[in-house]
Amino acid sequence: MTAGFGPHLTPDEFDAWLAAGLDSDRARHLEICLECQARADAERALDEQLAALQLLSPAPDFADRVMRHVAVPRPVTIPSMQPARRRFLATRRSVAFAASIAVLLVASMATSVIWTLGHQATLVSIGGWLLTQTGQAGWLAIQGVASNLIEQPWYGAFRSAFDSPGRIAAASALAAAAYLAGIYVLRRLLALPTQQVAHAGA
Amino acid sequence: MAEGPEWARLTDQEVVLLARGGREAAYRELVRRYERPVFALLYRMVRDRELAEDLAQETFVKALNAIDSYRPEFKFSSWIFKIANNAAIDHLRRRELDTLSLDGSPHAETPEAMQATALQIGARQESPLDAVEAKELGGAIEAAIGRLRPEYRSCILLRHVEGRAYEEIAEILDLPLGTVKTYIHRARNELRVALAHLKE
Repeated sequence: MTAGFGPHLTPDEFDAWLAAGLDSDRARHLEICLECQARADAERALDEQLAALQLLSPAPDFADRVMRHVAVPRPVTIPSMQPARRRFLATRRSVAFAASIAVLLVASMATSVIWTLGHQATLVSIGGWLLTQTGQAGWLAIQGVASNLIEQPWYGAFRSAFDSPGRIAAASALAAAAYLAGIYVLRRLLALPTQQVAHAGA
Repeated sequence: MAEGPEWARLTDQEVVLLARGGREAAYRELVRRYERPVFALLYRMVRDRELAEDLAQETFVKALNAIDSYRPEFKFSSWIFKIANNAAIDHLRRRELDTLSLDGSPHAETPEAMQATALQIGARQESPLDAVEAKELGGAIEAAIGRLRPEYRSCILLRHVEGRAYEEIAEILDLPLGTVKTYIHRARNELRVALAHLKE
């Protein structure tokens, strides 16, 4: 059904009209369509009646009744040093105890610093001795590994491969070739795959 | 910290944060903000003041005791209205089940038991309290709203009494936006028809 400009207003359009947001084309339809005007009047009257509905409130003690059944969590607080400080300073005895701990700490730190300053030569000699011992232990470990290697049954054959300069050169060339081949294979394995891209007109 | 008049400057989400931190005043502020709209919605849904207060109390107790499960990305109003509406719909469904059979309870096993539990049509007298409530909820528009289907009633009350947007109503009622619009359109049609005689 149409009247003048386009079809009758839809419910959404009546909603928009009530909110003063109806577009101008549809507003022109409303101006000349008696059917839509009657419906618009009824919609506005209904809106006014709904807006005039009485405000309702619960009994004044409603919040108290609710709160009687609500478990409020304990407030979250940041732990304070105040109680500990109060405990330490509560009696003369606790003050003396705290002071003796503080004195003990300061005295031990001071003693450590003074001894270090007075025995620098001793500390240097201890450091040197530790360094020498560590070096000797390392050298012994290398010698042990070497002697173990020499005692192996295959060592003779391996050693004979390096008897002449020619053999050393051949072995070095073989090792270098194996190294380069390994590098090449790795590069091929790690290379990103390339895709053939079709181009227009190609 | 926030005391007295400063509450007015805080958003619902900020008040909820304070409540989670254990501030009882924050819980009371949430009740203060929503007791009227929640109660009004429930009263118009169930049309019984005492029952509406009980359901409103149940709504707030449930919401405030589960305040940790509230997700601040949603509106607090949507959350509390959703709980309230569910409470009302559950009650109306239970009442419908209780009063469905004219022949008595479906669980009655003997004719005597069926007669004892049968619905007594016309037996209900309007008490003075009923009369007060009828006056309070008086007017043709209230009566017409009371005759709407519960789901239409929720939609029309949330839209036109509480002024909620269609999208928020859809969120509260867990309905698609289109369904909410359809329900409101149908509810308005029914109300217009029901109130047509007033114009004549």
